[in-house]
Amino acid sequence: MIIFLVRRLVSLAPTLLGITLVAFSILNLLPEDPGATWRGAAPSAETVQRLRTELGADRPTLARYGLWLGALLRGDLGRSLRDGRQVTSILAEALPWSLLLNLGAICLIYGFAIPFGLYSALVPGSRADRIGAVLLLVLYALPSFAAALLLQETFAVRLGLLPLQGVSRGPDGATPVDLLRHLVLPTVCLALSGWAFVARYARASFRSAMGQEFLRVARSKGLSRWRAARHLTASAAVPLVTLVTVILPGLVGGSVIVEQAFSWPGLGRLYLAALEGRDYPVVLALTLLSAVAVLLGQLVTDLFYMVVDPRLRQRLLAGSSGA
Amino acid sequence: MREGIVGPGACRGLALAALLALSGLPGCARSGEVVAVRDSASPAPGGRFVYPLPIEPISLDFVTGTDLASSSVTRLIGDGLVDHDAAWNPVPRLAERWEWEDGGRALVFHLRQGVRFHDGIPLTSADVLFTYERAVDPKTRAVGRVESFLPVERVDAPDDRTVRVVYRRPFAPALQGWEMPILPRHLYAGKDPEGLNLQRAPVGSGPFKFVSWESGRRILLAANTDYWGGRPYLDLFDFEIIPSQDTALQALLAGEVDFARLTPVQWQAHAGDASFERRFTGLRYTPFFMYDIAWRGDGSNPFFTDPRVRLAMTLALDREGYVRSVLRGLGEVRSSPFRPAALGREGDLPVIPYDPARAAELLDQAGWRIDRASGLRRKNGSPFRFTMLIYGVSEDHLQFSQVAQEGLRRLGITMDITRLDWPTLLTRLRSGRFEAALTGIAPSPDPDSMYTPLHSSQIDGGQNYAAFRDSQVDAWLDEGRGTLDPARRREIYRRIDALLQTRQPYTFLFSPVVQGAVARRVGNVNAGAYGILDPYPGPAAFFILPGADR
Repeated sequence: MIIFLVRRLVSLAPTLLGITLVAFSILNLLPEDPGATWRGAAPSAETVQRLRTELGADRPTLARYGLWLGALLRGDLGRSLRDGRQVTSILAEALPWSLLLNLGAICLIYGFAIPFGLYSALVPGSRADRIGAVLLLVLYALPSFAAALLLQETFAVRLGLLPLQGVSRGPDGATPVDLLRHLVLPTVCLALSGWAFVARYARASFRSAMGQEFLRVARSKGLSRWRAARHLTASAAVPLVTLVTVILPGLVGGSVIVEQAFSWPGLGRLYLAALEGRDYPVVLALTLLSAVAVLLGQLVTDLFYMVVDPRLRQRLLAGSSGA
Repeated sequence: MREGIVGPGACRGLALAALLALSGLPGCARSGEVVAVRDSASPAPGGRFVYPLPIEPISLDFVTGTDLASSSVTRLIGDGLVDHDAAWNPVPRLAERWEWEDGGRALVFHLRQGVRFHDGIPLTSADVLFTYERAVDPKTRAVGRVESFLPVERVDAPDDRTVRVVYRRPFAPALQGWEMPILPRHLYAGKDPEGLNLQRAPVGSGPFKFVSWESGRRILLAANTDYWGGRPYLDLFDFEIIPSQDTALQALLAGEVDFARLTPVQWQAHAGDASFERRFTGLRYTPFFMYDIAWRGDGSNPFFTDPRVRLAMTLALDREGYVRSVLRGLGEVRSSPFRPAALGREGDLPVIPYDPARAAELLDQAGWRIDRASGLRRKNGSPFRFTMLIYGVSEDHLQFSQVAQEGLRRLGITMDITRLDWPTLLTRLRSGRFEAALTGIAPSPDPDSMYTPLHSSQIDGGQNYAAFRDSQVDAWLDEGRGTLDPARRREIYRRIDALLQTRQPYTFLFSPVVQGAVARRVGNVNAGAYGILDPYPGPAAFFILPGADR
């Protein structure tokens, strides 16, 4: 198991290296060099030259890549071109907020989608199943920015039940309750499209699991409906877990819009601002971070497989030792 | 000054147009046209005012943080020597008075007595000297400040309360640069500014003290109870960073913020609504900003070297129609980059009308005739087909360029539109690799700000994007810069303006008008050219009506 983990981690390295190379090259293909954009103002030729030297922009691309990679290995992501602060501290400020939002959304998606999928799989074709399907389709089709406005208008402006935006009501220190209240609307907004997707998927995998011989046999031998459902869940869990790796990049992408709409101080907003301002060190760091997140997500999924499915465990372990 | 007066002072920075476009905050300017919100209730201290910032400030260092968001905050924390009122007349701030000496070569400021920084240390002329030196030190990279200090020969502090600035030659727009807030020298002395964190936690002498900056969330200021100008009424001034304009409006409606800028569509939806008007007061202002099209006239294309063609372009664009229909009237059509006051005129300046028939005549005269077969204009066999660069993120750029395209098509001219992001557009403008470009121009109230877009010395690497070259205009611009006599100055800029009307190196389009709304629970709110934070004393005079705190 440990060997498997180590091997998988080692095998991530070349993938990551490839991603950094691609990201670096794409940024360098953009039609001007970062020296010209420093702080968005109109700097003198001398300032531009100094900055170019500082950034290494006057060296060949490969040499710059080498420099950047070297610094990265020392844990140095450079300084933001916008405000001159360390990129690591900028990321460290925004990362917890993004994690909170995305983990909240995943919990909300699964917390709703699995019971719903199970229910509609147990009573296929019922009125609840059909109405639910239509409702979910509508939610799925609703663009994030429209959903955000709708939620804000309804729950914050008209009903005044929840805060509209931001992460705390006032400057007097945020209480956990206050934070939770601020978390509700953006999390729901981010979860909306995932709901439909995962719920339909869950329904399908429960349905196919229900068709399996062992369940029919167990039920005919008098296994209760609820105990059957438990076995069913374990059996349907494998494909559902895979979904996390599918929806996670989507959530990260979707949270750019949600963070913008709800003034949420996370990575999505940072990414947007950095791209617009050509803040190269921040863009590179965020690209790298999301690549790492996706790769780690896959790894965690594989580990989870090993926990829930003994057959997969055997195959993965055999595969890793045979490699 | 192009695209860049950013708050007070002669700050240049091309960030503003991008900022304006991003935030949906339109820009430009006629002072005097301000709406005041006043309430009869008597002011009492207390309360928190929440102001939505569309973009996070870059730096709260008084010297380097010259972008619009940063200077909105720093002008509350720090005091400049001078400031301006809502009509953009200079008003005393740290300097209680000033005078010109030596035939206009020296500007002498007399500082007021009893001014202290927020840490209790008195502010003296040595602090002013230090701030100036830090601004012009190349290591500081104060790109937004250096321009206005370039003509300075030296700055002296003969005593604690006198600052004497000597210019190489008389420099008429000198005062603007001294709106720069003054830094506390004692905090910097002998220390590395990077390590001091004063760009994230500044100390000044202004009406509000810095409390905290939570990245991506808010910057909080508290009343400076010992302010030399008297304690501000508000206890707290809270800048909340709200990137989306839709969200900012919703936040206003939900009572989470006290002010919001509205798009023309948003304003139309809410104006006249009884419950909206019961809670909010509308106010309008026009920042010093206008859209313009630069016609590259250096002969690199066969179209725009001829002034008749450029004038025809202006006549062919229905600017009034655009302002009326698309902007719902929230815009002012321009044909002059100058404020009426700068030219000694009252009321609106005349505008070149929409006249496609006259445009066609001029194009015919210039040799661009309709080709019967295709219906397109040609000269010496080649068609009149050019590309206009626009900033692809801005709604104004997109919509106006489409209207322009249609107008020109009817005259037999094909205009292609290329959407670019801001840095790329800027690079193309600077290098001169374009035929026409829709950009923005932010002339400060002083007419000298048109030096950079018009003077021939600014073609290479400067902001004379049209590559306009006229030795007479060069001479007038130089003379205007060095002339202190107001009447003579107005005469000079009247001449430049008259010449621009026929030469049209740029087509000035329109200034978007900002429609804002402020909560009625707040009193003493005034709008200057850049909004409610702009005129001095601004937020220092705001107060919350009794019983109306959140």
